[in-house]
Amino acid sequence: MAMIKLIDIASARSGDKNNVCNIGVMAKSVNDYDTLKKYLTPELVKAHFKGLIKGKVERFEWDSLESLNFVCHEALDGGASRSMRMDSLGKNFSSHLLRLEIEIN
Amino acid sequence: MSKTIRIAGAQGFYGDSPLGAMQIAMQGAADYLMHDALAELTLSILQKDKIKDPTMGYARDIEVHARTLYPMAFAKGIKIVTNSGGLNPESAAEKVKAILEKQGIKGVKIATITGDDVLARLPEFKENNIELNNLDDNSSYYDSKFPPTHANVYIGAQKVKEALDNGANLILAGRVADPCLALGIMAHEYNWKIDDATSQEDWDRMAFAITIGHILECGGQASGGNAYSEWPMNYSVSDLGYPIAHVNEDCTAILTKADNTGGKVSRNTIREQLVYEIHDPTNYITPDVVVDLSNIILKDESENRVSISGIKGKPRPEKLKLCIGQHEGFVTEQFFFFSYPFAYDKLQMFIKATKETWAKLPVQILESRFNIIGVNGLHEDAVEIPDVAELNQRSELGLRIAIKHKDDRTGKTAIAGIVCLGLNGPPGVISVPGWGNMNRAMLSLFPCLIPRELIEPELKYIEV
Repeated sequence: MAMIKLIDIASARSGDKNNVCNIGVMAKSVNDYDTLKKYLTPELVKAHFKGLIKGKVERFEWDSLESLNFVCHEALDGGASRSMRMDSLGKNFSSHLLRLEIEIN
Repeated sequence: MSKTIRIAGAQGFYGDSPLGAMQIAMQGAADYLMHDALAELTLSILQKDKIKDPTMGYARDIEVHARTLYPMAFAKGIKIVTNSGGLNPESAAEKVKAILEKQGIKGVKIATITGDDVLARLPEFKENNIELNNLDDNSSYYDSKFPPTHANVYIGAQKVKEALDNGANLILAGRVADPCLALGIMAHEYNWKIDDATSQEDWDRMAFAITIGHILECGGQASGGNAYSEWPMNYSVSDLGYPIAHVNEDCTAILTKADNTGGKVSRNTIREQLVYEIHDPTNYITPDVVVDLSNIILKDESENRVSISGIKGKPRPEKLKLCIGQHEGFVTEQFFFFSYPFAYDKLQMFIKATKETWAKLPVQILESRFNIIGVNGLHEDAVEIPDVAELNQRSELGLRIAIKHKDDRTGKTAIAGIVCLGLNGPPGVISVPGWGNMNRAMLSLFPCLIPRELIEPELKYIEV
């Protein structure tokens, strides 16, 4: 068992659609993508945001781009135009996710 | 040999710099400039302008563009396609016409596309029992208690194509969906079908064009800006080259940027833009086609040149998306800073005194939020707060106070009531008045679907 920092194997970009935030996670290599697919679950992503994401987190696999796309529902405090947050658009959801450490076997 | 068309992503948002587009126009590096000015929020901002002045309601950067960019572009034969018309494309066209005429420019055919703005038609929809159900929670719009600020339908590319077919060299549209701007251009150049599409070939072509549009619609974000995958970004960003797609009729393209510009176009930068604001990659829904991006092929061909192919399309959705803005209240925010020593204790004392003050004032605060800048400003409860001893050793801490309120007077009263804490409160408090954001309208968006046949986009022309 070992711990891997997400920032060492991936980059990320996030964006908004009303109250939904999507976080695209792009692996740095094909091997890294296998690791992501195996260990970076939607449950892990949701837990890492500790209540900021109120709804479900869906995960889409995007093999041809070695990327995972996490679609986080009810994640933006009602959506950019009504949010009380400084990061109203969730542009830094990507940054916060990259802080995650994943346990691998 | 099929004809290669060069389309540039010239603008990523209302307020973007025109310099990238000007660099492209100056070099003649594109045949079309595609400007996307409308984010989900932008129409709310434009509506406020329009209420103050009925001739406004368009993205005002077109006034700057008409003075600087358009003359350069028209001289090189470059055409411009934009949704900057916002809530008032016809007024935008008159404004641009006046600015161009002042410069002695002639021979410009401006097309406007309207019909997306249905704010005035909401009562008619209600009367005719048109269902408008929230895409998120399925509630009916007619049960909503907030007044509407704007209501716009995301429309497709058909009228963009027709305008170009009819010789327009500047298109000022309303809420044409961002990536459809590129589809209109390609459908015109290659005589592709849009509203009359019937075959897999038609859908694949449209899907390809939409994907190009999606890559270009955020401007510099596709060519090395905001790029974690290229961090530490060893290239210049102050003169970032905006993205340009060299597209072919066989649904392949090379993505690149203008020569002698900063930024970078790589498989990484394009990949990062592709995942942006997409949900299910097998079903990217647009007014004209549903796009399957799951088998897309991106390849680094050479420096700043990435090839793209492998995109599939499916028939368009039955209904169109309508977004209704609703006025829920106001938000006011203000920033304060606290110095070493005891920065954290002082900040907490300030928060306590603020709450006590508000309790005595005749203000109704619906919700309040206190963020510590440098600690939990961006990520709020998702981050661990360091222990108090460490925070008290910090050289400085910032405090952001945000409140939600019903009327546009509360913000001023609430903030005026606590600035005295600079003298009466803990030592070493600095308030930064210039940072304050007073009485910003708080809007919620009501997304729903509307039958396609109710919406009839309209095309008009004026000549300069």
